[in-house]
Amino acid sequence: MTETTPGVRIRPLDELDISDIVAIDEKISGRYRPEVWERQIGYYLRRDPESSVVAEIDGKVAGFMLGEVRSGEFGLEEPTGWIEVLGVDPAYRGKAIGRHLAEAILEHFRQRGAHSVRTLVDEEKQGDIRSFFTALGFEPSTMRPFVKTL
Amino acid sequence: MSVKTTTLPKKYHEAVLRWKDVFLPDYDFLIENWDKHFPNDQTFQLCAYREMGMCAEVECGDMKGKPKAKKASELPEESAHHLFGAIRAQASTEFGSIQQHRLTLARAQEEEEQFWILRMMAEELRHGYQMLHLLAEDDWSSVSKDSTSDVIDDILSMNTGSHVLGAFNIDFDSFVDNVVFCALIDRVGKYQLQMQKISAYQPMAESMPQMLREEAFHLAAGVVPMRRFATAAAKGETFVTMEVLQKTINKWLPRGLEMFGDERGGGTNVRLGLKPMKNAEAQRQYYREVEKLVRDLNLRYLRARLENLTHGESEAVLDRILAGETVEGVRREDLLHMPHADFFRRRGMPAFKMTGSQGETFTSAHDYLQHLVRVLPESYRASRDYKDYADALLAVEAGTMTLEQASSRMPALRRVAGACPCSKSVRWVQDEPAAVTASEATAQPVA
Repeated sequence: MTETTPGVRIRPLDELDISDIVAIDEKISGRYRPEVWERQIGYYLRRDPESSVVAEIDGKVAGFMLGEVRSGEFGLEEPTGWIEVLGVDPAYRGKAIGRHLAEAILEHFRQRGAHSVRTLVDEEKQGDIRSFFTALGFEPSTMRPFVKTL
Repeated sequence: MSVKTTTLPKKYHEAVLRWKDVFLPDYDFLIENWDKHFPNDQTFQLCAYREMGMCAEVECGDMKGKPKAKKASELPEESAHHLFGAIRAQASTEFGSIQQHRLTLARAQEEEEQFWILRMMAEELRHGYQMLHLLAEDDWSSVSKDSTSDVIDDILSMNTGSHVLGAFNIDFDSFVDNVVFCALIDRVGKYQLQMQKISAYQPMAESMPQMLREEAFHLAAGVVPMRRFATAAAKGETFVTMEVLQKTINKWLPRGLEMFGDERGGGTNVRLGLKPMKNAEAQRQYYREVEKLVRDLNLRYLRARLENLTHGESEAVLDRILAGETVEGVRREDLLHMPHADFFRRRGMPAFKMTGSQGETFTSAHDYLQHLVRVLPESYRASRDYKDYADALLAVEAGTMTLEQASSRMPALRRVAGACPCSKSVRWVQDEPAAVTASEATAQPVA
């Protein structure tokens, strides 16, 4: 675990974070979805608990970033870090929590042998998240998501 | 970060496979269905993992800053003695928990949760294997007169009743035990593994990271179903009530607290660089974690019962209910409560103090046992383990047994001949208390 900005502590995700993450999601999305997060967090803990991190301020979870290293998908044979879910409690925005979370998760991806990290952002709806990743040095990839309505 | 994979010498590897066939007969079923329940997860492998590149210097105690021991022979004799006991006890717990889980695994109502527990059992088998590997690959003759074969035989011959630590000698009565055990007893395991990650014995430290990764899921395999039980109870389903959850927590938490060892101990492990925390400090942190779990379960229950509440409102309402107010029909007694740390203890400082689940004090064993009737699961009270506790409590009150004798007293299954895990060579043996004290004090990993 690492101490970053004074008072912000980054540590691996654990099963007792479920309630706090449900609460952050509820503040951001307006939806109470405990079942979704119970399953989701169970998945990340099962895969590699150190690949997902939370930020604590005064012992309270203020943000989270979930991801993992995978290989063999989408023609990407080399181990690749994926940042898949993130959230910061609106009450704690402006404290560089997202950046601290990203630094910790990227360092873990490096230790796991990943040479690159990827994520997907909806440019129309998530302009702020695009800015966040751009500020971290992420660049648009030639790999494009395709979608078809069913 | 790189991980080295190794296996036990053939004869020990095969002994573990034979043990698995007896005590984990669903192993092949798990592997056959692995991709269905854990798609894209690396398939389970029965082997020992060693994390390379860990800190090479002793991290606490008198030897802080000196190179860590790569072999047992490089350790001071006192350290080797403690470590040998800890490895043996750890191995015993890993195999012991599988023997407990298998009793009620088939009673799970949800296939998903059943497979979570089954995976957890396979990983506990691997953890036991990892500990056997530490015993088999080094020379422990300076601290054990038994050969490696005998030590491994002994561990694989243990059964529920003869394991080193009390929590692993208690039968499961329902799938609720599987789940609560994961949430409470595996949590103690997490503490032990985290502490041993800094061990002055490098092979022990290198064994911990992969075990810790796996343990993180074991805790989730307990906590998530408990959250689901609480939700279902709030919605009026009658399969697992909050009362059943409370009684099961009451059954296991005292045993979890005792697994840290006597509250006054642990200094030796810190001095020897084997663990960074004394028993009482680790136990306090553990207790606080379980408090958080209980509060989370109550919040989950409350949100399911009073669906109009927001998260912030539910926190405030929970505090009001816990203070005794009834809010929209939800009463204090509808919720879960953290058992007092001294409740139902038989080892450590609070042993046989007759403290009630909420901290009440009792002055007669009869009254205390009547209290336990109300707060412990009925099926557990019909067990041998509970009877032994009740007998010891009455004997302490009558003055026919000292506290020390009572603390060390438990019925034990012992290997009386042979070593094959599938043989009938273990029998109930009731030791004279003093005799048990000596052997257990040696084996206690957290003293």
